[in-house]
Amino acid sequence: MDWAQTIVKCLKAENISLIPYVPDISIFEVTKLLEEDPFFQLVPATREEEAIGIAAGSYAVGRNSAVFMQSSGFGNTVNALASLCIPCRLPIPLFINLRGEVGEFNIAQVPMGRATRPILDVLGLPFYTLDNPETAEQIISGALRLCYASREPLALCMTSLLHRGKLA
Amino acid sequence: MLRFDATQVLLKHLTDEPVVPNLGPTADELWHAGDRDRNFYTYGSMGLCSSIALGMALSVPDKIISLDGDGSLLMNLGAIASIGRERPKNLIVVVWDNEMWGQTGGQATHTAFGTELDQVAKSCGIANTALVHDLEGLDGIFKRALVEDGPWFIVAKVEDPPEPFPLCPNEPEMTLYRFRRSFVGQEIPRH
Repeated sequence: MDWAQTIVKCLKAENISLIPYVPDISIFEVTKLLEEDPFFQLVPATREEEAIGIAAGSYAVGRNSAVFMQSSGFGNTVNALASLCIPCRLPIPLFINLRGEVGEFNIAQVPMGRATRPILDVLGLPFYTLDNPETAEQIISGALRLCYASREPLALCMTSLLHRGKLA
Repeated sequence: MLRFDATQVLLKHLTDEPVVPNLGPTADELWHAGDRDRNFYTYGSMGLCSSIALGMALSVPDKIISLDGDGSLLMNLGAIASIGRERPKNLIVVVWDNEMWGQTGGQATHTAFGTELDQVAKSCGIANTALVHDLEGLDGIFKRALVEDGPWFIVAKVEDPPEPFPLCPNEPEMTLYRFRRSFVGQEIPRH
């Protein structure tokens, strides 16, 4: 099973069906699968913070929701995580395509890519890096379970070693 | 019209419809007008009130009411575009427009200088919009919005009270817990 199908399988296992996201070409493979599958409802947001708000509302009425974004937009989510998700204890899994790693060609993507995990760390939020399709299922399924058990946001950071995709 | 009186007008028509109030005085005044399990008070995340309500409207059939503010919505105008794109029939956005950032010293917002949020909504594809200046106007349009398909986008020009209301309890975890429990019941952990 490839990495994109693995993510779809793990989302379904946790009954996560609403996916607010800001499009990203490297993870297009997975969002395309989600779009084609009637189990999922994709909601394109204009900005990452908005996606967090939509996911929060969804969880509040009993529907599990995960957000997809790129590391360049992760900074837009900080106040939503800090002043909404953490105080309310909203378990929202964040799937972040991590730029600025091996193979990066754009200097403008490096600082935010490099800052993403440290920012999660100072917010006190757990994160797991996905860089190997072989171990992806074990990490994702375990992380999602932890997310709902701990009732706090949690990030899964996808690198180019996972998806071998186009970086742009 | 005073925002608190306007809040009371809305509550008069509600049974168990979820309400998401913007942070600050909107949440405080809603608490004083009528605390309910289905008030999803916000305490931060300025700008996300209507986005939270959109996430609810896409997930359950209930009529969902967002009580947003001009300053907050100006921080996230993209929320209006997303509502216009998704067009959930069960979403009612009410904007308490006092034309100022009331919590930071009363500085005039952009709506005091010509930004018309109802026109922004219209241009984003939201067909049912309204601009109201008094309680009668608000009462009439809100009653319609509750029974007719939306999304609705109602801008109500309001005034702050002479003295701020006391703060509502600051209990985000409790707010989410009791609000969510009203939809899913008591959850039992699994192994």
